[in-house]
Parts: sequence; structure tokens; C-alpha cells
Amino acid sequence: MPTFKRLIDIVTGGSKRPLRRLAAYYAVLLVVLSALILAYPATNAILMGGDAPSAGLAPQLLQDGLNAPPVADLLLGPGSLGEMVISTSLILLGIVALMLPVTWVYMSARSAPGHSQDVAQTLVILPIVVAGIVFIVQNSLALAFSLAGVVAAVRFRTKLESTRDVVFIFLAIGVGFAGGVQMLALGAIFSIAFNFIVLLAWRYDFGRSALLPTAASQWSEPLASLAAGNGNGNGIPDRDLVLALTQKNVNALAQRFDRVRGVLGPSRKKPRYNAVLSITSDKVAEAQVLMQKVLEKLTKRWVLDEVITHTGKPSEVYYLVRVGKAVTRDELITAIRTRAGDRVAAVDLELGEALTKKKAATS
Amino acid sequence: MSASLRILLLAGLAAFGGCRPATPGSLSGELAARELRLATNFASARADSPRTRVLARWILPRELGEVSGLALTGDGRLLAHGDEQGAVFVIDARRGAVLKRFSIGTFDGDARADFEGITVAEGRIVMLASDGRLHEFLEGAAGERVRFDVHDTRLATECEFEGVAYDATRQLFLLPCKSVGRPGLRDQLVLYRWRLRGTGDPGLAPLAIPLSRVIGSNPWKDLHPSDITVDPASGNYVLIAAQERALIEITPSGEVVRAMALPGTHGQAEGVALTPEGILIVADEATNRPATLTLYRWPLTVAAREPP
Repeated sequence: MPTFKRLIDIVTGGSKRPLRRLAAYYAVLLVVLSALILAYPATNAILMGGDAPSAGLAPQLLQDGLNAPPVADLLLGPGSLGEMVISTSLILLGIVALMLPVTWVYMSARSAPGHSQDVAQTLVILPIVVAGIVFIVQNSLALAFSLAGVVAAVRFRTKLESTRDVVFIFLAIGVGFAGGVQMLALGAIFSIAFNFIVLLAWRYDFGRSALLPTAASQWSEPLASLAAGNGNGNGIPDRDLVLALTQKNVNALAQRFDRVRGVLGPSRKKPRYNAVLSITSDKVAEAQVLMQKVLEKLTKRWVLDEVITHTGKPSEVYYLVRVGKAVTRDELITAIRTRAGDRVAAVDLELGEALTKKKAATS
Repeated sequence: MSASLRILLLAGLAAFGGCRPATPGSLSGELAARELRLATNFASARADSPRTRVLARWILPRELGEVSGLALTGDGRLLAHGDEQGAVFVIDARRGAVLKRFSIGTFDGDARADFEGITVAEGRIVMLASDGRLHEFLEGAAGERVRFDVHDTRLATECEFEGVAYDATRQLFLLPCKSVGRPGLRDQLVLYRWRLRGTGDPGLAPLAIPLSRVIGSNPWKDLHPSDITVDPASGNYVLIAAQERALIEITPSGEVVRAMALPGTHGQAEGVALTPEGILIVADEATNRPATLTLYRWPLTVAAREPP
């Protein structure tokens, strides 16, 4: 699979766009199939169905009843067990090749996160089973009735979560039928048309109610918050959100995490700092001097983390501090306000999670 | 992908190569070899030889497992059909190759009936159903489904038919009776004669030959003809009977020329045809072995033997 993935990367120029990658997959499949047909023309019968006399393109030799055919012909010649095994295996491989992209589309092109793994696996397995049944039934009405009886006796019923899943299951059955009647070309057309239509419907949010926000607008706010770098730190981006970031934003985010990690120290030790102290002030230099005195007195250790200057409004100063057990949040804030006076416009202290819990339990 | 899996895939593909149809070059070579082999066998199977040998035997495709009738076209191609479906296979009997397959039917599928015989009359093909209905149509292209006309001989109550032939000299269809319904004719070999076109009554008086004359010294108790053909050289009628494994040649006036056991081993001989160059073709339904076409040099003298 890594080789195949690299091949798709080469064809798409490394693009991660689903439509391009899907088109590349089918293009590679087409090339492989063309090569197979050129090398082994019998493959055409698997794709298009029918047999040589029906096609009428060339005479079909009848087996000589007087001169016994060579062993190779008995094993692999027309109508032999070998031919049946190989053609059946090729059909099943073809079905898997056609259903793989359907599962990718099923797992990715969704308006809400999450999918059923059972359904994803069923999409690959079900058409193989359907094709097997069609192989057995073929044109026999008696076998078809027998099959209906057996299925009625088994009575398997599964409730699917959404209509969308049902449609995917129907496609799997359709591809299975196409494989069973040796018309894989039809199955390929179903698979291609289905996948591209589903992807395009997902891409353009087809069928959305005008009263509901678009998917893009739902994502835009948290993405902008992360990208701007002024988030309040409360929200932990979930996996889908992180995956939706641009490369530039991911790098910026990673740099910020690295810096914080460096300050906090190795993970095995107790964190060096347990709170973030932020102040806003119009006189940053004077405020810093006053803050230094307070912090030296009331904290175990502290470090200036960041100064963000603004024009037209107070600047922000951030400190990472380690507050002792004896000093409460209110005591520290009161001490800063008393000492700094009007040089500090606002003070806030965000305590680390562990300390917050401990203090809450104490109080 | 592991090395073993790659080897397995390559082996599979290589094996699949053995399943592909013969390439044009090898196909024409094989056909030429078969033609040569038939000519050699034909030359060595002298008509006056005390033993007649099988010239060739071809195993028919599965769809012709219940082959029920044979006929030759004007250009020497063999037509064969199955029992229930109106599908006609065009075969090169000399070289053992199916040239094409077409069918009769309507837009909603192939015609279905108990087809029992086929013949070619004035460039048109006629298939007979066991109830005496004649299905007339033109030859179709490969895979084509052609339209057909039905002519009811209204002889269903009088006879159960299993074969048909066209006597071009007298412009008559010949329909041998497998099971005679008319009480007065039950000890006769009955051939109904039918004129498809022309004025007057299409049904002519049947040709009836006493069974005792036909059977002669052969150990058959009865005779149930399964197919009939016309010898292009002599104009005589040649019949085969699957049940009795019999071969009978009679003149158009009803004189028995030959009544003998079918040569070789024929499980269920259901079709017969004679080529102008003197090759007798017998078609056997699949029984405990696949359906076959067997070729002999005509006229036969004594029972043929299988080649060593």
C-alpha cells in the first residue's frame, strides 16, 4: 500500500485534495486494467460479460474429442477449473479495487464527524458475498428461489444509523451484482459516478437549509481564533479542527506549544510554574518594576513570558509564576493592585488545573 | 507487498495467460492443422474399406448440451440448436470451430419452445417444434436476435416430431414421425410432407413404409426417428433413431436403401447432416459424456471403429 500511495502522490503532485486523489486512483486503476487487457485479452470477458461465440469476433475452437487435449489445457484451458478459479479471483479483486475508494469517501465526506466502522468494513465484504451468490445462482430460476428461501430463513436485519449509510450499502450490492454477472465495467461506472457525486455534494454542502449556517462558517471562528494567536487558551482543538488548519497555522501553533513546554520543563518533574499572571497597563515599564517587587515577595519563582504592546489601548504583560500553597489568588491580585495602583489597569491570574482543584477542595 | 505475495500474483497472471483465447496466428494454425487432419482421415477412410473410421469428433459447448438438430447452409456451414431456447450456433464442422451464435425471439427475449429440428429451405432457416410448428427466419449476425414467422402444420395430434429436412428437388419439408398418433399407421415409418408456399393444401399425403421392411434383419422392435437429412448427392432421405441407434436410408419413393446400426458409440444421436463432399455428421446429446459432433465418410458400409 505505501507503494500505491506514493504512486497516487506522484500522479496528483502530492495534492491532498480528495477529488484529485480519487481521480488519480481511478486513472491508475484504468492504466493497470488496460495493461491487463492488452496482455490477457480474456480479461475483457470479466469486464464486459459474455463468451467468445456471442461476441462473434473470432471463431471459438471446439475441443477435439478424438485427440486428448494437453494437460495444461485441461487445467487452465477454456471451461477448466483453473480458469474458473482465476477468473473468479480476478473478479473479487476487481470488486475490492472498486469498493476501496467508496469506503474512503464514506469515511471522509461527512457533514458530521464520526462514522461506523462496521459499515466501512461491510462496504468491502458485502459485494464479494453478493457476487458469490450471483455466481452460484447464475440463470437458474430454481436456485434463485432456493436462495430466497434460505435468506428468508436466516432473517438477518440490521438497523442502519442514517439514510446515507443505506445508499452506500445499496451501491455495494450493485457492484456485487455487476461482478457476479461478469460486468465489472458497469460496476466501475457505478463506483466512479457515485464517489464523485458524493464528494461534490459534500464539497458544496448540497441540500443545506438556507436557515442553517454553512459548514464553512461553523469552522471559521475557531480556526480564526487559533490562527490569530490571541485565543484565551480554554479551547483544546479537536482532531478535526487541527487537521483543518493550514500548514502555516499549524507551524505557528507548534512553535507556541514548544515555547510553553520549554518553560514548563520536563514532563516527569513537577511543573516549574502553575499559573499565568496577566496585567494590562498604559505604563508598561513602570508597571513591570512594581510587579517585580510583588512577585519576588509572594511567589516561589516567576518569569516574564510575553509583552504585547497595543496602540490606542493598554498593553498586555504575561508572567508565568509558581504560587505557593499559602498564597491565594485573591491575596496575590490584591497585593498587586495595592502596590501598583493606577499603573495597572487590570490584573488576572489563571491557576493551573491541579492547583485549582486542590484549592477548591480546601475551601 | 511481500515477496511471496508478488510471486503468487505473477503466477496467477501467468496461469491466466493459459486461459486467454488463441491469438489470431495460433488460431489459424490450429484450424489449418485440423483441416489437414480431416483431409488425411477422409482419404484413408476409403468407401470400400471393410472398416469405416471416425474422421473427427468435436465436443460441443455447454449451451449445446441438448443438441436437437443439425442442418447445412448452402456454403457448407453447419447449423445446430439446443432443445428449449431458440439459439442457433453456426459451426465450421470440418475444422471444429463455433463461428457465431444468434437467436430467434422478440424484444423481450429468445423464443422458447421444444425445438427438435432445423433445416435450410430456399435461403431461409426453419426450426421445428415438437408440436409441429415451423419457425421460419433469416440467418442473423453474431449475437443478433432475429424475428421469425410461425407456420402451424396442425399435425400435433397425429404425430410427435423430432426432425425436419427440406427436399429441394420436390420443394417439400419432410417431417418424420417419432411417435405415430394415427392408429392405422402405427406399424409404419411415417414421413409427413409439407409445402410451405404455393397454392392448394400445404399438407400432402404422408409417405408410409411398413416397419418390417425398414427394420429388415436388424434387432429393433420399433423405430423412433430423431432426425432426418437429404443426401445432396443421391437425393435419398437419411434418418437416424436415437433410441434404436439406427441409421436408415430411403429413396423419396419409399424404397429402403440401407438400414444399419449407427457406427461407433452414440449415446443419444439427435441430429444428422450430410455434406455434398460425402461427410456424415452425427450430433449426440450430452449423456454421461459431453455433447459431440462426430464425422464419418459417407456412405457407410459397416460399423465404424474408433481410432486407436
